Amino acid sequence: MHLERSGRQSVNKKHLNNTLVDVENYSFDYESNPFDPLFNELTFSIRKNETVLLMGPSGAGKSTLALCLNGLYPEAVEGYAKGSIRFEGRPIEDFKPGELNQRVGVVFQDPESQFCMITVENELAFTMENLQVPREQMDRKMDHVLESVGMTAFRQRNIHELSGGQKQKVALASVLLLNPSLLILDEPTANLDPASRYEFIQLIYKLKQEWNMSVLIIEHQLDDWVEQTDRVLAMNRHGQLIADCPPHEAFYDRYKEMVGEGIHLPKVVKTAQASSTYAKPLTEAELLNVLGESALEEKVKSSGIQEENQEVILELKGVSFFRKKHIPILNGVDLSLRKGEFVGIVGENGAGKSTLLQIMAGILTTKEGKRRFINKEYEKWDERELRRELGFVFQNPEHQFITDTVYEEISFGMTLNGKKEEDVNDRTEYLMDKFHLEKKRWANPFSLSGGQKRRLSVATMLDETPRLLLFDEPTFGQDARTTHELMNMITDLRNQGTAIVFVTHDMDLVNNYCDRVYVLNEGEVAYEGVPSELWSEKSLLEKAKLRLPYQVRLQQELKRMERKEVVGHA
Amino acid sequence: MLNSINPTMKAVTIFVPGLLLAFVFDPFTPFVYLIFTIAMTFLLSDLSLKRWLLIFTPFVFVALSFSWMTMLYSSDTFSDGRILFSFWWFEVTEGALMVALSLGLRSLCLVALSLMFVLTTDSTKFMLSLMQQAKLPPKLTFGILAGYRFLPTFKHEMEVLRQAHKIRGVGRAKGIKGRIQQFRRYAIPLLANAIRKAERVAVAMESKGFTGSTERSHYHKMTVRKRDWVFLSAFVFVFFATVFASYMFGYLNIFGRQF
Repeated sequence: MHLERSGRQSVNKKHLNNTLVDVENYSFDYESNPFDPLFNELTFSIRKNETVLLMGPSGAGKSTLALCLNGLYPEAVEGYAKGSIRFEGRPIEDFKPGELNQRVGVVFQDPESQFCMITVENELAFTMENLQVPREQMDRKMDHVLESVGMTAFRQRNIHELSGGQKQKVALASVLLLNPSLLILDEPTANLDPASRYEFIQLIYKLKQEWNMSVLIIEHQLDDWVEQTDRVLAMNRHGQLIADCPPHEAFYDRYKEMVGEGIHLPKVVKTAQASSTYAKPLTEAELLNVLGESALEEKVKSSGIQEENQEVILELKGVSFFRKKHIPILNGVDLSLRKGEFVGIVGENGAGKSTLLQIMAGILTTKEGKRRFINKEYEKWDERELRRELGFVFQNPEHQFITDTVYEEISFGMTLNGKKEEDVNDRTEYLMDKFHLEKKRWANPFSLSGGQKRRLSVATMLDETPRLLLFDEPTFGQDARTTHELMNMITDLRNQGTAIVFVTHDMDLVNNYCDRVYVLNEGEVAYEGVPSELWSEKSLLEKAKLRLPYQVRLQQELKRMERKEVVGHA
Repeated sequence: MLNSINPTMKAVTIFVPGLLLAFVFDPFTPFVYLIFTIAMTFLLSDLSLKRWLLIFTPFVFVALSFSWMTMLYSSDTFSDGRILFSFWWFEVTEGALMVALSLGLRSLCLVALSLMFVLTTDSTKFMLSLMQQAKLPPKLTFGILAGYRFLPTFKHEMEVLRQAHKIRGVGRAKGIKGRIQQFRRYAIPLLANAIRKAERVAVAMESKGFTGSTERSHYHKMTVRKRDWVFLSAFVFVFFATVFASYMFGYLNIFGRQF
């Protein structure tokens, strides 16, 4: 006892109460002499076994911070760094190359590009070889870590054959092999579908306790993470730290400040703020306890033409599609679309959603089944005419860019169709104005921000108002503001009579906006109808790996609670 | 059996006879060695003949065109012997025909050897073996492996690009200028993505403790065993045996000198 006390005096007080990482006045930028550094005089610490959530608008340098904490930056880039980062009281410059990486594990956003080996087994071995783990111990460790993340059955599989969620679990497993003291999760679920996302978050929750580590979560989609968070750090656009406090304080006491900084807050918080409660619920269950039925929002139907007797503009009957002539992707799909309708296509990865969309767009053809658009068979359409009536927005906007400036990009289609120059000019100006791209007129499309790229990719499809606009997962990996902007644009288009089809994983979006939804399962239409009726099809939802939307979850939870109450009273 | 030969040793086995064959200018030696290589390929592995033929056949035509050109344009050193036939201003001599046949068979021999390697070797194991036996730096071998992983992604991305451009109304490019423009349109997004991905992978690898240091343990221990040496010696021995046989039969020709 006595010894310990004397020890305490000799060490800096700050490092003793089990601080793991200590960042002091840290600034960083990729340019060597920055006017406005990417992050600016950050001071914060992470304690042992603590879970910290770091949030901030996109472009605030959150991911860069992750790499500074594990010692890769600023060494790997010619940048500017000031201030200090200490790990267990030791400045990070004092660590040998690779040494700090072994204490700080990072799982990154993109599941496609964090592996260097072909099979799961070899990828895990790669981490252990770096650590010089003796060969005899490797098998045992591998078994253990695979069991922890629930991927034992996938040991011999090729990584590229796995789904996004499974890949992230492999990435997590290979990082866990480092046995890190700090686990950094850099938007690990941004590219996952909601069901896999939820599963991954629950997994982290479980592992955190088993593996005894601190966790730093970098995210802008906060829902589901909040539950397990001890503390919240928030950064603003200028890379300054504006909050370092427990979640309820950050979300409720400083609500206005956070919203003003463009930080996206959890849905539960938004609902609670919209009501007049003084309580500060963080989970859906807490919210319902506080608010009860008033937590449920009136469903606002999106505007647009929704009359039943609108003309049918697209019809598929018995459409099948085979890959390599014998592997079925689509099997006897029937689908119809009316003018101005908003339809969602949902389903598990590999269910054939994208293929169906490509067939609707006429970029894939098949001989099996009938396909009509407006009043003609697809085969009879002139390619140029078809493109005028039908637009397609790809998941990655970059794929669609073909010119060097935003202006040329928007006017490209019109010039190709031989329109008069002043008409082209007028329309282009109009579209740039509408999509807030005037200032970027001469910028290269590739240099735009994520949201701007998305807006541009839609604008290029609108040289004439198309009858049908198809979207392949337009909200994937996008932040809330971009999604919101996109939905506004779409409402406008529908008012002009354009039918919209979304292939999406976002059930909230389906619930809030879609008139009808198609569920694809193993290449067949498993459900067709209004979204509100889909949510009661329990076995189907499970089979197609769909997660209920937020509002519906609240509804069902509420019913369950009421039922319990009734039983309790009786 | 071929699959379990140490990949580095297998590569040497391909390389040594491949190099030595370059000195032989008679058709008999490469012909016999070609038969031997093909026989070994199928005796020591369970490759399907159909798959092998599918890859091999196009090379037969390439080899034929090599031969044809050599026959018509062989240098004076080789164009001795009597004239077999002549048309237009070409005169085909016995010597030219032999050299042409030799060249064709020699290239087929190299193709067969390469196929024997490519079709029976796992890329990961090859890299691991290069690192463990040939002492290549881990930075290089793991870099190649990481790049190898991206090949299918690249193909997929090309396909998406083609579709996306079709949607925009850009058809098949016409003329040279159009082709160049099309190439540019494809190249920029492909390169942009490739660079981004490469950087991400590099960061992810380093984050898993990879430093490029040669001090690392090995999950797959690649060893050179006795039978790898037997394999190598057999291929080299048969080569010299063939050369000797063709000497005995009086066919042997090295660099245009008849023995």
